[in-house]
Amino acid sequence: METHSRLEFCLHSWGANSYGQLGQGHVEDQPAPRLADTAALQSRAVRTVCGGGGHSVVITDSGEVFVCGQNHRGQLGLGNSADVSTLQLCPVLNHRITQTACGWDFTLLLTDCGQLLACGSNAFGQLGVAQNVTHSADLLVIENLKKPIVSVAAGLRHALAVADSGCVYQWGTGLFSHAKRALSPHPVPPHLSSKVPSLVPGLDQRTAHLVAAGSAHCVCLTGDGDLFLWGSNKHGQLTTTERFLSSPTLLRRSLLNGEKILNVWSGWTHTVAQTESGRVFTWGRGDYGQLGRRASASRDPEQQSAGPVTEGGSQEVCLPAEVTALHGATQITCGSEHNLAIVGGCLLSWGWNEHGMCGDGSQADVFHPQLVPGLKPLLIGCGAGHSMAVCAASTGSRQNSPPTSLE
Amino acid sequence: MSVFHDEVEIEDFEYDEDAETFYFPCPCGDRFAITKEDLENGEEVATCPSCSLIVRVIYDQELFTSGEVVEAPSESRLELLQS
Repeated sequence: METHSRLEFCLHSWGANSYGQLGQGHVEDQPAPRLADTAALQSRAVRTVCGGGGHSVVITDSGEVFVCGQNHRGQLGLGNSADVSTLQLCPVLNHRITQTACGWDFTLLLTDCGQLLACGSNAFGQLGVAQNVTHSADLLVIENLKKPIVSVAAGLRHALAVADSGCVYQWGTGLFSHAKRALSPHPVPPHLSSKVPSLVPGLDQRTAHLVAAGSAHCVCLTGDGDLFLWGSNKHGQLTTTERFLSSPTLLRRSLLNGEKILNVWSGWTHTVAQTESGRVFTWGRGDYGQLGRRASASRDPEQQSAGPVTEGGSQEVCLPAEVTALHGATQITCGSEHNLAIVGGCLLSWGWNEHGMCGDGSQADVFHPQLVPGLKPLLIGCGAGHSMAVCAASTGSRQNSPPTSLE
Repeated sequence: MSVFHDEVEIEDFEYDEDAETFYFPCPCGDRFAITKEDLENGEEVATCPSCSLIVRVIYDQELFTSGEVVEAPSESRLELLQS
């Protein structure tokens, strides 16, 4: 999401903070929004905020990159491996960065030329570089991609990118063991076992538009509004009955009211999609409130058997269902097991809340989208267990009513 | 709560030889951990030092109790085996 606003802004952050990923200069969890230290940004406008397992990345309108949090694998791209608890400028040299995707312990940066840079852990080939390195604290260029790249996503140990041509690439072996267990004795396809970008098969008749990544699954939205899903279905996140899908599988549009999908986001094991009419649907794992709705919904009338049964006794939902409170959301973002949305200028949160990532001051899970009061959100982003919101600097008293439009 | 957050195969854990500990990402940003010694003793619960979530580790205890310890194959070793 972009904002070109030159208004005075502030960055609020909350949730898990074991590594200083909140950028507040300390490592204590925060159960409610609190100002991050943005001194390093001076008054630059922010284009994107994003988080990984324990780190955070802020991209400015001018294409500069600021980072904080965990850095043990060099995921901050600072040339060292020391954690930092306030935002620091990441040296991207002569590149201008427009997008980022944060994996568990690695970072991907997209330049305005459509080139992808990577840093952090490469234990699973998630940097997509030919070099045989375990990790890199310096940004490396990912070759073997048909440029320019227009969309990028990062999971725990895998990554996805869409080229301007509409092709989708995948790298990092995070899905390999899942595939091996599911497919054996059949071989694991190249795109699930490659440490350099590998063309994802089965989408050649379609033009991919954007990608999203779960912990071990993949999501691709096409230009004509169809969604393709593949990877692990352990928690029903693929809406199928198989435990694993090795190649992209179309989500029937009838499951989303017959509408085109315009945007999609993924948590670790749940998915959120918005249709052309502004409706928001969720599916996948819901036992901590990740789905923002009662998780006892629907079996697919067109499929006989129920979805995968899990051992933990958690309630799984296999079919998309609408969350009406999110209708018309202008932004949505997913953490591992929690979510943020901007609806009508208000910030909403729901899902797992043990570290206060839902920002309501408690640690109780939030099962329906709930207002995070007192903020005027412009831009939102999540890491695994933390939340961030770029907000208009508050000049008046804090109030719970929707702020007036700031655009 | 003794409900497992998930069940994870030992081969999906990353092994730290210095700490003799297996790690897997926890949704909070920290990591589930279980030591090699725990596995040798038949322990199957990996815990996160930062939160209440726990996972059940799926592994073959015989591979961890018979003198020579067999480590979970790292991804790089799997790749070597494939190539």
